Amino acid sequence: MFVMIVSVLLPRFALATALGDRGELLQTPCALAPEPGGVQKVGEVSPAAEALGLHPGLRLGESLARCPELTLVPPDPAGVADRWERLLVRLESIGAAVEPERPGLVCFEARGLLRLHGGIDGVLAAARRALRAPARFGVAPSRFAAVAAATRARSRRPEIVSGSGRAVARAYLASLPVSLLRARAALAELPDALERLGVRTLGELAGLPSAVLADRFGSLGLLAHELACGGDSPLHPRPPGEFLRESLDLPEAGSGVQLERGLGLLIDRLLARRERRGRTIRAVVISAVLVEQGGTWREQVVFREALSDPVRMRLALTPRLALMPAPADALRLAVERFGPLASDQRGLLEAPAEERAGRLREAIRQARVVAGPDAALRVLTVDPDSRFPERRAVLTPFEG
Amino acid sequence: MSGPRRLGVPRRVAVEPDAAGRPLEVDGRTVDSVRESWLIEDRWWTERPLRRRYWEIVTTCGRNEIVFVDLFSQRWWRQR
Repeated sequence: MFVMIVSVLLPRFALATALGDRGELLQTPCALAPEPGGVQKVGEVSPAAEALGLHPGLRLGESLARCPELTLVPPDPAGVADRWERLLVRLESIGAAVEPERPGLVCFEARGLLRLHGGIDGVLAAARRALRAPARFGVAPSRFAAVAAATRARSRRPEIVSGSGRAVARAYLASLPVSLLRARAALAELPDALERLGVRTLGELAGLPSAVLADRFGSLGLLAHELACGGDSPLHPRPPGEFLRESLDLPEAGSGVQLERGLGLLIDRLLARRERRGRTIRAVVISAVLVEQGGTWREQVVFREALSDPVRMRLALTPRLALMPAPADALRLAVERFGPLASDQRGLLEAPAEERAGRLREAIRQARVVAGPDAALRVLTVDPDSRFPERRAVLTPFEG
Repeated sequence: MSGPRRLGVPRRVAVEPDAAGRPLEVDGRTVDSVRESWLIEDRWWTERPLRRRYWEIVTTCGRNEIVFVDLFSQRWWRQR
């Protein structure tokens, strides 16, 4: 079957996003600092740092030994996720069914878009216009070959591998270095081992018997061999998503109890959003902007079962706040995936209290239809012991 | 709802203080007595510290009010 995969690469995406308006730092040796509490390895590095022998995944101590003047940039995972989501939505707006590999690298199948945009050049031009960001494009018959092509492309000149089939992809990859395998997260450690064994190009790797690689590296070796031979798994495009998020600025740099109350407020507001349309929530992302320009923090939470009960959501989400490395200036809660509609089936014997609560919910719903979302509010105690009265309580949507 | 709405937000009030800063008139009403006065300082570790001198007063018409003066701007506010 004819396959044409387009790979879009935005080099140093996470680093550039974390730098924000301090882009001039890219001209100096700088690298993304390790995530707080994570493995002490640097993230993406600037070209100047790369010239000094640094690469993503290098241990922090070794990085500083190689480059004492290295500037460490606090990571901004929430900012990266936001900006990446915006770019993916822009790509989807041209009809591309995208499969994001990691922030800064995404693939899509171009076959269905060729007629729509007038050939592969038209598809690439449309993608470039939609992205409105400097990107490199690679086109090849397999996903891995397309990613390899994107790394060799220039910002204005895409790398297009003509033809289809494994043989074409294998021939294209033959002269390329095995270090390209690092593009696949599972194979990040393999290129060093292969180079130590004298295997420097993907062509040499493809020429080895697969049984030998399986003996030495197990399933990872077989995967690397398959990729070098021009094969790869088919694309699994992500389902089109909806973006539903609530955020809360914390002027007093909240932590502890204040953060918990803020989170409760965000849960209430998220559940009160009309766009939810009665659906349960399967997964959410909590993120925070940390104080003193300490970057951002982001945590994905998948619930054990899809739910729309604020009490259970609080129970599941509150312990995650303890993982936050510093007090926060702003707290955000976004829906990542919805679940099925919340069940509305009535019990055989309805308790009077539940009946009253049901009537109350219905009354609130009707009041909101008439007077807007502010029709029913409740007082939420945020910081009851504050010495400043205006910090003690806020108004939040009433959830029956 | 665009964001959480704070309750008990201070509102501007016209206060006539004496030389020592003690309120004599609040919104044109003469102060009969001062029940309590206290000083609050907070957020001194940030670039926007707060310093307020609170006064709980009773006016001659019987109103009980809490007013404070922002010690940086010297402006008076009423708070419930």
